[in-house]
Amino acid sequence: MLDIRQVYKTFNAATPNEVRALRGVTLSIDDGSFVIVIGTNGSGKSTLLNAVAGGFMVDSGTLAIDGTDVTAWPEHRRASFIGRVFQNPFSGTAPSMTIAENLALAARRGRPRGLGWALRRSALDEFRDRVRRLNMGLEDRLENPIGSLSGGQRQALTLLMASWLKPKLLLLDEHTAALDPKSADQVIRLSEEIVTRDRLTTLMVTHSMSQAAHLGDRLVMMHRGTVLHDFRGAEKRRLRANDLLNRFEDVRRADLLDESAAAMLRRLYV
Amino acid sequence: MLLLIGALTIGLILSLLAFGVFISFRIFEFPDITTEGSITLGGAVAAVLIVAHVSPMLATLAAFGAGALAGTATAVLHTRFRINSLLSGILVMTALYSVNLHVMGKSNLPLLSERTLASMAESAGIRLLGAPAVHIAAWEVGTRDLAALVLSLAVAAIAGLALYLFFRTNIGTAMQAAGDNAQMIRALGVNVDTMIVVGLALSNGLVAVAGAILTQYQGFADVQMGIGMVVWGLASVIIGEALVGGRDLGFLITGAVMGSVLFRLLVAVALRGGLNPNDLKLVTAAFVFVALVVPGFVRRARRRQRI
Repeated sequence: MLDIRQVYKTFNAATPNEVRALRGVTLSIDDGSFVIVIGTNGSGKSTLLNAVAGGFMVDSGTLAIDGTDVTAWPEHRRASFIGRVFQNPFSGTAPSMTIAENLALAARRGRPRGLGWALRRSALDEFRDRVRRLNMGLEDRLENPIGSLSGGQRQALTLLMASWLKPKLLLLDEHTAALDPKSADQVIRLSEEIVTRDRLTTLMVTHSMSQAAHLGDRLVMMHRGTVLHDFRGAEKRRLRANDLLNRFEDVRRADLLDESAAAMLRRLYV
Repeated sequence: MLLLIGALTIGLILSLLAFGVFISFRIFEFPDITTEGSITLGGAVAAVLIVAHVSPMLATLAAFGAGALAGTATAVLHTRFRINSLLSGILVMTALYSVNLHVMGKSNLPLLSERTLASMAESAGIRLLGAPAVHIAAWEVGTRDLAALVLSLAVAAIAGLALYLFFRTNIGTAMQAAGDNAQMIRALGVNVDTMIVVGLALSNGLVAVAGAILTQYQGFADVQMGIGMVVWGLASVIIGEALVGGRDLGFLITGAVMGSVLFRLLVAVALRGGLNPNDLKLVTAAFVFVALVVPGFVRRARRRQRI
């Protein structure tokens, strides 16, 4: 479904702020699989998601969704394949527009928008129906501006909007990191429910080791802009949060070793 | 009475200017100075076509097209060439000054005995009322003035309703969202740059129609008529927002009409009361400054009180 091949991206190239964010990422994701991405800060996991979504153009490599090469496509064009939930709960909805209007916008993701009415009666019934299933009591507030809702409610709606038209690929970018524990839990359960029900091919970045251990059928660990580990099948099912923490510890030690080894070499030869 | 009707008429005509400013400043938060050039452009195009005996209706539509082109130019400078929004508008506005002089051929173009929307409304009024003047509550009111008032009311109502309906369509809601949260609407497959182009075209088209109708009402187009119009439109929008409160689009559009009329009335009263016309733009600018700053002040003062 998603084919990432040898993708490189360097930000602020040839300046003191140069960041080599992606250094040859290759990752192929099967149709219907739920992939968790973890990694240390600056490992490139969010950058990878952004590269897939089209937030920037990659320096080299190719990206293909469902066999279509989208490497050169601008973000808004890739949106016909991709549903997306952001880390910031305020990023995924238009605050001064009503819940119904936001849903109407999502119901035409990647489709032409003409002079037809955005809020037809039949559409409103469907909105109410699907919002009711969130169990947040929002079905009676469809005419309220979304800016008046809490972060958790907005994130749940963003999730609903991203999956409204069953995307070929769902991108979840640490979408519970900015929520309080209760809302985070609610949104995670909702994500799992939607992904399983609609069998969505999903790429989810998370900081939470328990989420990483419990969710998904494949786990990718990134480090320094490349894929370091790739667990799937039985191996993924056996993984516990502690195993992941140990892996991170290994990575940290290896990094320290790199530095101390470099320091030693410098002392000896420079 | 005449003062009141005149102020109402001009206020209603300039509510189209307020709509334009509302779209650029409020929907897109794009400080679009093109407005100052496109209102004159609308007046100039309409005047030249009317002098050439084109039907006033067509001339007004042509003004919309010309204004939309000017708005498109600004939007393309901004989106395609990544020029700062304010500067894009300034460049197009400056260029339009020459364009307007070329269109008119001189700096002032009178429409003395031409058939205009205003004269058409007047003759329709005379046919309807059967007299060149009527009495309203003991005041004698010229049918011409009354007809112009009705005409401008109709124009403001039609434009306001059309704008409201437009923002209820799929493309209209997408445009609102592009101004509200560009990241979100991009992720839903909308090209934000295209929305800015369409939005500014619509905005400047409306502004140009305001210029075209103003020209026909006052009987001349002048190359200077656009000066200060952005601040004028902004003042109308701000007053309108204060009048209606709330964020519902229908209220805001109605508010823009009310704001435009009220602002024009205030100006008329101030001028009547002895305000030096030369000070008008200074006072307007000061007013907008106060209106922009006071809400923040009040909020901070309240917060301090609570602590």
